[in-house]
Amino acid sequence: MHRITKITGYVAIILVVLSFNFFLPRLMPGDPLSFLTGAPGMDMPIVLDEETRAKLLTYYGLDKPLSQQFYDYMLGILHGDLGWSIYHNAPVSDILIGALKWTLLLVGTSTALYMVLGILLGAISAWNRGGKSDVGLLVSLLSIGSFPPFFLGMLFIILFSVKLNLFPAFGAQTPFMGYSSLLEEASDILYHLFLPATTLVISHIGGVYLLMRNSMLNVIGEDYILTARAKGMAEWYIMRKHAMKNALLPITTMIALRTGFMIGGTILVETVFAYPGVGRLLFDAVTYRDYPLLQGAFLIITLVIIAANFVADMVYVQLDPRLRHD
Amino acid sequence: MKKGKNVDVLTLVILILVCSVFGGIAAVAADEKVVKFAGDLPGGDWGYPSPFGFYPRGPGYIRMSFGFDTLTWKDQNGTVIPWLADSWEMSDDGKTWTFHLHEGVKWHDGEPFTAKDVQFTFDYIKKHKTSFKWFQTLGYIDHVDIVDDHTVVIHLTEPFAPFLVDIAGNVPIIPEHIWKDVSDPVKFVGDKAVIGTGPFKLLKYNKEQGYYEWEANEEYFKGKPLVDKLISLSVNDPALALTTGDIDETSFWGRRAKAVSAFENKSGFGTRWGPSYWVLKVIFNCERYPTNLTAFRKAIAYGINRTELVELVVHGYGIPANTGLIHPDVTEWYNPDLPDYEHNVTKAIEILNALNFTDTDGDGIMEYPEGGDLEFNLITLDKFSREAELIKSQLAAVGIKINVKVMDMSTVDGILKEGNFFMVISGHGGIANPNILEKPDWPGGTCKNETYTALFKEQRETMDYKARKELVFKLQESIAENLPVYTLYHPKMCCVYRPEKLDTWFFTKGGVGIGIPIEMNKLVFIGEEEVRPAPSLAPAASASPGTTSAPTPIPTPTPEPEQPGFDVIFAITGLLAVAYLVLRRKNR
Repeated sequence: MHRITKITGYVAIILVVLSFNFFLPRLMPGDPLSFLTGAPGMDMPIVLDEETRAKLLTYYGLDKPLSQQFYDYMLGILHGDLGWSIYHNAPVSDILIGALKWTLLLVGTSTALYMVLGILLGAISAWNRGGKSDVGLLVSLLSIGSFPPFFLGMLFIILFSVKLNLFPAFGAQTPFMGYSSLLEEASDILYHLFLPATTLVISHIGGVYLLMRNSMLNVIGEDYILTARAKGMAEWYIMRKHAMKNALLPITTMIALRTGFMIGGTILVETVFAYPGVGRLLFDAVTYRDYPLLQGAFLIITLVIIAANFVADMVYVQLDPRLRHD
Repeated sequence: MKKGKNVDVLTLVILILVCSVFGGIAAVAADEKVVKFAGDLPGGDWGYPSPFGFYPRGPGYIRMSFGFDTLTWKDQNGTVIPWLADSWEMSDDGKTWTFHLHEGVKWHDGEPFTAKDVQFTFDYIKKHKTSFKWFQTLGYIDHVDIVDDHTVVIHLTEPFAPFLVDIAGNVPIIPEHIWKDVSDPVKFVGDKAVIGTGPFKLLKYNKEQGYYEWEANEEYFKGKPLVDKLISLSVNDPALALTTGDIDETSFWGRRAKAVSAFENKSGFGTRWGPSYWVLKVIFNCERYPTNLTAFRKAIAYGINRTELVELVVHGYGIPANTGLIHPDVTEWYNPDLPDYEHNVTKAIEILNALNFTDTDGDGIMEYPEGGDLEFNLITLDKFSREAELIKSQLAAVGIKINVKVMDMSTVDGILKEGNFFMVISGHGGIANPNILEKPDWPGGTCKNETYTALFKEQRETMDYKARKELVFKLQESIAENLPVYTLYHPKMCCVYRPEKLDTWFFTKGGVGIGIPIEMNKLVFIGEEEVRPAPSLAPAASASPGTTSAPTPIPTPTPEPEQPGFDVIFAITGLLAVAYLVLRRKNR
C-alpha cells in the first residue's frame, strides 16, 4: 500500500514537472528564432523577411496552437522522442546523452570522493574533538571550501597546468588523440578529469564534513558508546561500528539532494575547465530559448533528482533497520 | 593479517590505475604540419560545417568555407578574385552574369565539378530558402542556365550591385550527385554532407566538446594547402592555451585585446591587428516620446562621451564609431564627412531646454514639459553593462536620469521587436558591407523612413560604382542626421600566432565573404604568392604593461557517437566495487 502511494507520488511529480518544462520556457520573452535570425550582440546581422520567418516557424512546429504543441510534446515523450534542438540542429536525446555522460562522470567521481573523504574526516574530527587534528581539519577544510569553485579552478589551472605543466587546462579529452587502446583513452579521460573533479571535491567537502562532525558529536554523547567503551572494545572499532553508522543517517539525505542539483549546477567548473556537460548545455538552451532542448534537459535533471531521492529512500531503510517494519 | 592483505590488493589495483594514467599519454604522431586554433568568441561549436548545418554566425560560415568553395572569393585587399569561376561577364542591364568555371576541379569524393552543380546549387538553395539561413538575397536569382560543362549564366530578377560579393562570393557550391536526393538539408549531416571542393576535408567533428579536425585536400585546384591538418578547439582561456602551446593561433577582440600585450615583442609569437567591422550602438525608439524627437536624440548624442567610452571600457582597443555605421577602414564606402556629435554638455542642455525640458525643482534632473522627472530605462546585455553604466553617468551630467536594465539576449531581442523600450545598447558586425544599411536600427524596427528605404533599394540596384557610392554616402548621412541609432565605437581585434607553425595570417579588408572580420580567410592556408600578407598593421592602442589573460567565455557542449573509454572507466569501477564487496563478505 505504502509503496503504491509512493509510486503514484513520483508519477504525479513527473507529470507536473513535464508541464512546467513545457510552459515555463514559453513564458520567457523572445523565441528560438532570435538565434537563427541573428540577435542583439551577435556578429552578423541577418535580416529575415516575414515570409521566411513564418516558414521557419512552421518548420519547427512553433506556429501550431499551444495545446497542439503540448500534445505533440507529451506524445513525443511517451515515444521516447525528445524532439529536435533548434540551436544545436541535432536530436535532443543525442545532445543530452553526449553531455550527460561527462556530467555523470564528473559529478559521480567527485560525489563519491567528497562523500567518503568528508565522512571520514568528519568522523575523525569529531572523535578527537577539541584536539589538534580536529581544529586543524576544521580550519583548513572550511577555509579551502569557502573559495568559490571557479576561483579555485582558475588557481589550479595556473598552478598545475601553466606553471607545473602537470595536468591539461581544458577539455575532457585530448582532442583527436587517436588512441591505440581503450586503456589509453580511459587514462586520458581520467587525466583530464583530475582538476575539475578535485575542484568540485574541495568546494563540496566542507558541508559533508561539518554535518558529519556534528552528527558524530551527537552520537558520541549517547549511552551505548559509553557501554561499548565499558566493554573494552577498541576505539577504532567503536568509532566505525557504533558511532559512524548511526551518524551517517542525515548525510544520506543531504547527498541525495546535492547530487540532483549538481547535475545542472556544475556550470562554473565546466566553464572554467571548458569541460563538456549539462550545465553549459542548459545555459545555452536558456540563452537561445531552445524549447526542445530546455524541455529535455529539465526532464533529465528532474529524473536524476527523483532517482537520487528514491535511492536515498532505499539506502535509508538499509541503514536504519527501525524503518523496515513500517 | 587478513585485513592487511585486502588493503594490499586494493593498493595494487589503484597503483596500476594511477600508473596507466600518467604513463598512457602517448606521443604525437610524425612530421605532419598541424595548426590548432581557437576563437575568442564563446564556444568552440559552430555547428556541423555543411552549408545547411553551421550556426548562422561568422565563425560557423568560416568553418564551412574550409570545405566548400564559391564562384568568387576575396583576397587580403578585399579585391574580388576568381575562384571556382576563372572569369565572368555582366550584361549591360546588370541582370545577366556569365561565369566561366575553372576546369579540372574535383569534389572531395573524386567526382568532377561541372556547370550542372552550379545550376543545381542555386535551384536547391532557392527551393530550401529557410534552410540556408546565412543570407537572404537569393530572391534576386531568377534562374541559372547551363551553356556548356564549364559555363553558366545566372539570370537575376533585378540588377543587384553587390552580386559578385554577396551571392557569387558567398553561396557555397554543393555537389548535385549528393544533395539531389536530400529533402531536408538541415537534418542531413554526416560524411557526405561535407563533401565540397574546398582546401580541407572534415575528418572529425565533436559537437559536445566543440572540436573540429580537417585534413588538407591534396588535390586542391588552387594548390596543396600549407598545413596537413587544421584543428579548431574550444578553450576556456585562449591566452593561456597559447602560452602552454595547446593552440597555435587565436584572436582577441575589444577590451580582451589587453591580453595581446603579453605576446607583443615576445619571441616565438607574432601579432597582427585588424578592424573587427563591428559596431556598438544606441538604438532609439523612434515611435515613443521623447526619443521619437530627432532633436532629443541629438541631445543624447552630445551628452555621450565616446572617447571616454573607448578609453575606459575598451582600454583604448577601439575607435569612436562612424555615425553612419560603415567602418572607416572600408574606404570604398565610408563617408568621412559626417557629424560626430563631439561631447558637449552645454549644447545637449541647450537642445533639451529648447524642447522645454528644464530642471525646475533644482534636483539635477530635468523635468518633462508636462512635469515629472526625465527618467527612463536603458536596456542592454550583460556584456555591455559597463558601457551602459558609463553612459548613465555621462547623461546624468546633462540632467537625464537613466536606469540601466541588464537582460539576456533573447529578452532584449523580444523587447526590440515589440518596440517596448526607449534606448537599447547593442552591437553587431557586418559593417563593411553596405547591405547593413538596410535597417540601421537592426534588430530594432521602430524607425521607419520611406525615403530612406527607397534610397537603399536604389543603391542596391545601381551598377555604376561611383553612382552607387554616392547613394551609400547619402544613406550614411541620413543615419548621422536623423540618428535612428547613435553609434558608439568600433573595437579592434588582434590575432596572436606562433610563426613557426604558420605565419600567413591576415585580416581580409572588408571581411571574408559578406564581411566576416575573422583572420581565417582560406587563402591564409593556401599561401599563394600574391596573397602573402603585407607587414602587420601597427597596433594603435597604447598597450598597458603587465600580463593580462582575459578570462574568456563559455564554450558550448553536446554529443558525438560512442566514447569507448567510458565503458572502461565504468567497468573498472564496477569491478572494483564487486571485488570490494566480495572481500568484505569473506572477512565476516
